[in-house]
This record gives sequence, structure tokens and C-alpha cells, in this order.
Amino acid sequence: MKLAVFVSDLRNTVDTLDRLKAEKLGIILVQNGVYHAVIKEKGSASPLLKKSADFYALSEDLETRGLSSSNIASGIKVVNYSDVVDLIFNNYEKSVWL
Amino acid sequence: MATTKLGFIVQRPPYKTENPKLALTHAISSQSVEVYLKDGDLVTADVAFVGDGVLNCIKNQKATEHYDISSTESHIKNSLLLDLNVLVCKEDLEKFGLSENDIVMDAEEFGADMKVKVVPFAEINKMMEEVNHLLFF
Amino acid sequence: MGKLTIGCFSSLVGSMSLDFAVKLAGAAVDKGHKVDLWVSGNGTMLSVKGQRAFKDYSSLEKNLKELMGKGLTVTACEACAEARGYHKDGTMEGFKRHSMDWYLASAFDADRVFHIGGE
Repeated sequence: MKLAVFVSDLRNTVDTLDRLKAEKLGIILVQNGVYHAVIKEKGSASPLLKKSADFYALSEDLETRGLSSSNIASGIKVVNYSDVVDLIFNNYEKSVWL
Repeated sequence: MATTKLGFIVQRPPYKTENPKLALTHAISSQSVEVYLKDGDLVTADVAFVGDGVLNCIKNQKATEHYDISSTESHIKNSLLLDLNVLVCKEDLEKFGLSENDIVMDAEEFGADMKVKVVPFAEINKMMEEVNHLLFF
Repeated sequence: MGKLTIGCFSSLVGSMSLDFAVKLAGAAVDKGHKVDLWVSGNGTMLSVKGQRAFKDYSSLEKNLKELMGKGLTVTACEACAEARGYHKDGTMEGFKRHSMDWYLASAFDADRVFHIGGE
């Protein structure tokens, strides 16, 4: 399946993301999930970014938190709400909110 | 005649938040959705408990006695009575040191034929692939 | 264009997940998609009329009314609303109320279902 997983938190209390198997996986960082795209802890980037997936981060939520798109980890595409609608309809068959 | 399949995935334990119970009540409402649809059209609901969500399945819940609310256990039994497919992740039960003896497995006392199926996560992932839409709780 | 069914069980003000759902609905409506928004659980708070727009709190009533004017269908779980003391006469104009099977019926012919299952 082509699955978009919306990660909305910095700390996940569920390990579901690690277990999901999909032929095509997109991870869309929204709300507090956008911190994964920018913040490093003890110098290391978020372990989430090691997953084999296409990564996106919502610009409105980055900017709300004072995070700059210029500091985004490489390989993450910055998208807006309109782009997210296109991702949902055109790129992924199913969506999951974590 | 068309069928839309929905997968309800419950990841969190019960009671502190209402969402696991709402997953069940929404899944159960698949039984009455036909009032909105054309004759022969259907919506089916598969329910899976994963991660901490398997804790919803522990039996002998006393929610009614202590908080005067329906138990999640009773909703699982209703789901079985209505022939919903209810899956519980085997690895997560084992992680908590739980077995089939500790959880709701059937609703035989109400005449339900369906039983809870304890399955590997891989089977739950397969269900997720087979349904049309996913609803994570 | 397609149909998007969004379900959101997160509360108004106490969480911004509902803001996300409304903004996503708006973006989809603006792109010409048909959108149904279902709120259940604490999300039914969204249906209450007379929300005051203080800057310290999320305020969605005005945006929602504009989107309803553009064709967004918004429906609250009647049981969840009533349990919280939100009655029909206190519901925003245009905001529907139905039982849970309405959400599943909306999902029946949706091209995509986007579900936020609450905090």
C-alpha cells in the first residue's frame, strides 16, 4: 500500500510507525512533529529520519514554532496545506495520524 | 452493490481517554450505516488492537461499578456479537506477559459466534493493506 | 476532483489538531474537492455557537462558517455532543448532528479518509 503517516508529536508514545510496512511510505511532519525536521538532541538528528521513507514537513507548523526552512535536515521537502491535499489525493492511498 | 472496508486500529489503553471506546462504537455503527446507503451497499469494520491498545482487551473490567460507564470490554463483546473481525496483536500481548486467558476472547454468553483472533502484527499489517481506509485511534 | 472525509476527535482550543483538520478541509475545498468533516468525542466542542475569538485561544467558528459557505459539510456526533451538554439549540447554524454511522456512510464513497483519533 502507499501510506502517508502524519507524525504530529516529537515524542511518540506508540511504536506503530516502526512496525508499519508499506510499498511506498511517506512521513509528513506536522504540528510538533516538525521538530523532527530541525531539532538535534545532543548533536544528533532525530532517529525518525533514518526510516526509509519520503519526508515532508508542513511549512505553516514550522513557521508557527519559529523554525526556519533553511535549517531543515536534508531530504525533507517543505510543503504547505495545499501540497498536503495533493499528497493525500495523488501520492498516497491511505493516511494515518500518529 | 459496493463495499467499503474500514480498518480501526487502537493503539492506546482505555479509560483515561475515550478514544479507544470511540473506535469500537464507531466500528459497531457499521451495522446501521445502510440507512444512508443504496440497497446492497455496505461498510465493513475490522478492529485491531496493537501496542498498548491490547490492554483494552483485559477481561473483568469494572468500569460500570466504579465509574458508572460502560466498559470497553462490553463493547468488544458487542463487536463480536455483530460479527466484526477483531484482531489482537500476539507480540504485544506477549510483551505485557498476557495470554488468551487474560483477555476477552468471545461473547458466547450472548450467543456470538465470532471470536477474538490473536494474530502476529504481520497479519494486522495485511488487514491494513486490504481495507480501503485506515482510522488510527 | 475527489471526495475527502475528515474525522477529528480532538478538542477545540485544548489541542491544535482540530485547527489542523479545519485548515486541511479548507485547503481541499479551495482545490475543488468535496469535503465532509466529522467531529466526535471532544471534537464536538467545535459545534457550539458563540465561540469568542480571543487571541490566546484557537478560534475556528468564523473560518468554519466561511468554509460551510463554500460547500464544506460539517457534522457532529449527536451522542458525544449531548453527553457534553451541547444541545441542538446551542449548535452553530449549518452544523449538522447525526449518529456515528453518518461518518461511516461519508467514508463509503470517499476517495480518501483522513482520521485524527484524538489525543
